[in-house]
Amino acid sequence: MTTDSLPLQRFTIVEVNDTGVPLCLRLATSLAAKIAADLGADVLKIEPPGGDPVRRAPPLLANGNGPGASALFQFLNTSKRSLVLDLKTESGRANLAALLDRSHACLFEEPASIAPLARGGKATAIEIAAFPAEMNAAARPVSELAIQALGGLMHMIGEPGRKPLKLGGHQASYAAGLTAFTGLTAALAAREAGQRAPHVRVSLAEVMQWVNWKAASGAAATGASPGREGKASEFQVVPCRDGHVAVVYTVTQWPATRNLIGDPRLQDEKFATRAGRRKHIAELYEIIAPWFADKTRAEIQKTAQAKGVPFGPIFTPAELLETEQYVARGFLAKMTHPDIGRLLIPQLPVQWNGRSFAPRPAPTLERAELAA
Amino acid sequence: MTRPLTGVRVLDFGLLTAGANTSAMLADLGADVIKIESGAYLDPFRVVGKMDDDEGWWNRSPQFRFTNRNKRGLALNLKDPGGQRVIRELARHCDVVVENFRRGVLDRAGLGYEALKAINPRIVFAAISSQGDTGPERMNVSFGSTLDATSGIASLTGYEGEEPRISGMDVNYPDQIVSLFATGIVITAVMEARRSGKGAFLDFSQREVASFTLGEEILAASADPAHRLAPRGNTEGDAYRCGDGRWIAATLDDPALDCSTQDRDAAVAALLARGIAAAPCNDGNDLLRDASLAGVTLVRDEQGGLVKGLPYRLDGKGITIERAAPDLGQHTDAVLRELLGYGDAELLALKRSGVTSTTPTVGDV
Repeated sequence: MTTDSLPLQRFTIVEVNDTGVPLCLRLATSLAAKIAADLGADVLKIEPPGGDPVRRAPPLLANGNGPGASALFQFLNTSKRSLVLDLKTESGRANLAALLDRSHACLFEEPASIAPLARGGKATAIEIAAFPAEMNAAARPVSELAIQALGGLMHMIGEPGRKPLKLGGHQASYAAGLTAFTGLTAALAAREAGQRAPHVRVSLAEVMQWVNWKAASGAAATGASPGREGKASEFQVVPCRDGHVAVVYTVTQWPATRNLIGDPRLQDEKFATRAGRRKHIAELYEIIAPWFADKTRAEIQKTAQAKGVPFGPIFTPAELLETEQYVARGFLAKMTHPDIGRLLIPQLPVQWNGRSFAPRPAPTLERAELAA
Repeated sequence: MTRPLTGVRVLDFGLLTAGANTSAMLADLGADVIKIESGAYLDPFRVVGKMDDDEGWWNRSPQFRFTNRNKRGLALNLKDPGGQRVIRELARHCDVVVENFRRGVLDRAGLGYEALKAINPRIVFAAISSQGDTGPERMNVSFGSTLDATSGIASLTGYEGEEPRISGMDVNYPDQIVSLFATGIVITAVMEARRSGKGAFLDFSQREVASFTLGEEILAASADPAHRLAPRGNTEGDAYRCGDGRWIAATLDDPALDCSTQDRDAAVAALLARGIAAAPCNDGNDLLRDASLAGVTLVRDEQGGLVKGLPYRLDGKGITIERAAPDLGQHTDAVLRELLGYGDAELLALKRSGVTSTTPTVGDV
């Protein structure tokens, strides 16, 4: 790869946004195609008349006059081209069929009216679905929340006596989007090696279950499922002077953690083993919490890291814009939006021979309709 | 059977989930993965999952077995010049290196990217670390939920109006998603190396991968400094306790829902019939019992042990486990004979000098 070429630029990929598809599937498909587009693939996004509904989804980018374009859409559709096709019409489907014959891969959501078309063309089909094929998707409305419940993630987060919690963000959609990207590259690698590419099907529910494998592994090993432990957990969040810090340490990091806090009561035999610490966890946190209370997150991180202790200060997305590490690595790229001006957008989380992949702004609907 | 990565060989220094699972996903696509550990440094999953103190405990960890199936295992001491020499010879026969050591460990052993590239210019070197290979925090340590905190995910998770929450040690969510992305990037670089003969240094920051999942929130904050976020409970719906004491989640416009007179399955069925997205809040045992959810995501190895399957289906199918996770050093001799042509005398010399082994020299790591 030379400095002016991109690793996937020889590939043409079609992303189909059929009408009536649940939002959580749309996000997964869009993320997978966006990664390929940022890596140089020519990604053509097919939108229905009126555009991808994600164009109107929150969070919205504030401009001087109030809410504007969707940040979600901008993030998920960088570096793509867009074409509006009415897939309910004969001519719309004929146009799509012609495009698929000139493309290497097609990402689409299933069930979709165009599924037979997408599966039958020369382009390799990458399907994104909510559920495994055996579950009757037609009888199962879906949402990000329902997938996090079904895959067992919610059972793991929160207090044992209180309601289970969803992990923040669109984690079910995005984990599935990352998976679909990897499936896409496997299919492209097979094609390029002269093999028949496998047909790839990604379901959000299976990805969530796969990500949450320790629940199944724990249940299989002991008969009892792991679950949310809240204030009974070894890892907890404690307040500090300017926010919160996650207390995290491994078994081998306990002596360093104990020495860092420096309270003589932690030398007690009952805290010497993991089992002992778990048994006396409330008392342990009573002893260590005051150490955090009068320190800032920055002080805590610096002091803990110096001793090899992986405490995690909690940052908000706004604070991440100024994080020294992200600034130094150029993780957030400057991107100019035609209406809003300069924005900072996370780039693909990889550097390739020191190079990042700066995204191009998402296509506007006006230009897309012109192209159609 | 020819698979997308047939003919690709991976030198796997991956540990725990982030590294070892990236190599496992490459193995699932047909790559020949040889995992390198040593008696002096085991994959920590062998120790975290310790079941007992009996002889061979290091070969029985469920977490290790889950993540390292379909690999061959070698034990070579990275700190010994003899072990380093053998690994450099192996690198000549490999296409990919996966590692998630703390920054500098492989460089100090003379096994960093520059050293291996000099031996094999087409090597694709995936370095997966907490913070990436550059920047002021490159040497920072983290463990799973550290990155829930520092990536921003925790700031959006929690009961409304209360403190932020992390996914915790039984999930360690940021560790789980890295391989889903890194595997695709490694495959992209392998395609490039097949075409150009040139490899690549791929520098992954796990923290960046986790923050990437909040891309729209970071973008929105850059447009509006007042875009402040805090834990908001369960968005787009909520969790509800049913009559049998078990929980469901439902996406309702009107959050009021009383399912206290129904058991969990009846409550979910009634909501689905009304066209409402709903699901049980499954626990690990529910997941084991659900044959369609577990269909390809969990598999049995030849010894009957439950192991990790695929996150996707290829031609409608999952994978078969061709070999269970290796015992420590199980394939050292076989691989050194096969790839490097070593004979009995050389293998014996390596064993006598402590370069190779099948037992740990450490109790805890």
